Amino acid sequence: MTVVFMRNKVVEVKPRADGGLDVHWRLSDDLIDLEIEMTFEVPDLEIVAAGARVRRSVFAGGIDAGEAIHRVEGVRVGPGLRKIVRGLLGGDQGSIELTEGVLECCNAVILHFTLPGIQLGEQYRDAPEAERLALSKAMIEANPRLLRSCIAFADDSPIVQALNLAREEAGR
Amino acid sequence: MITFSRSQLVGMEFLDEETVRFHGTQEDHIYAMEVAMDVRIADGRILAIQGWMKRYTTPVCPRAVDRLQDAVGISLRDPSWMPLVMREIGRKGCEHFAEIICECGRCLDQARMSRDLAAALKADPSADLAGLAKQWTASHPERPGATLTVTAV
Repeated sequence: MTVVFMRNKVVEVKPRADGGLDVHWRLSDDLIDLEIEMTFEVPDLEIVAAGARVRRSVFAGGIDAGEAIHRVEGVRVGPGLRKIVRGLLGGDQGSIELTEGVLECCNAVILHFTLPGIQLGEQYRDAPEAERLALSKAMIEANPRLLRSCIAFADDSPIVQALNLAREEAGR
Repeated sequence: MITFSRSQLVGMEFLDEETVRFHGTQEDHIYAMEVAMDVRIADGRILAIQGWMKRYTTPVCPRAVDRLQDAVGISLRDPSWMPLVMREIGRKGCEHFAEIICECGRCLDQARMSRDLAAALKADPSADLAGLAKQWTASHPERPGATLTVTAV
């Protein structure tokens, strides 16, 4: 069966010479083609510049994305981000595509920083269980928000249970 | 040089007048996953869902495939459907499956609109596309948010 609608999205992170990060995001589907460019300051992860352009749209009128997106300049990636961005760009008079695009740029920045840790962990793939557990423990200690964030770090996950057991044994 | 990249692809088939099938794929430097789900157009309810976890970070991750069944019954017309998906499928299963479901769900009205606009243009290739889009948006208040206009450069 042929498809009636297709959407392609891509987001890319590119480090800058000044230590910041440039993020390019683009959405193209049957109705619109929208791109966002954002610059993040490191280590604060503040959005220091944001631009957007609608390259193609079936709509003759509506929000000017290039103007609206400046509202997120000054926002930092951190707690409450979704609420803040949805407050600035979403709602009945806002744009879902623009809002989610900004949030996906921010998420890509987080994943840019997550990737090296994941790559480091790959060295331990065939290591003894104790070493792999030590790595998981270090991950959770470095980022306590991981706990209960997904099935891998749920209370009944073998990873969390093994860590709890290891803690109990260390305490004896 | 690019240090992180993510691509998402959503394709939609209308199985009949009442049901739409979403195919959602997400692939990035870390994860690769896919979801197929059927949704009833009238009320946006998820009728069936399947998932494939192709690249992940822990041996526990594939357990999230079974949690996808908790999405059955959720309506994409519920005002809080996205937080619900992020909680029930994301936090209790896998965030990346939840992201794919959310992206698919956000395409529901766009796909309905595309189908109607394509049919109108087929009947009359000289029809005013912008006018048809405006008319469709005005007659479908269930489509959330405002539209985006081409940015002058």
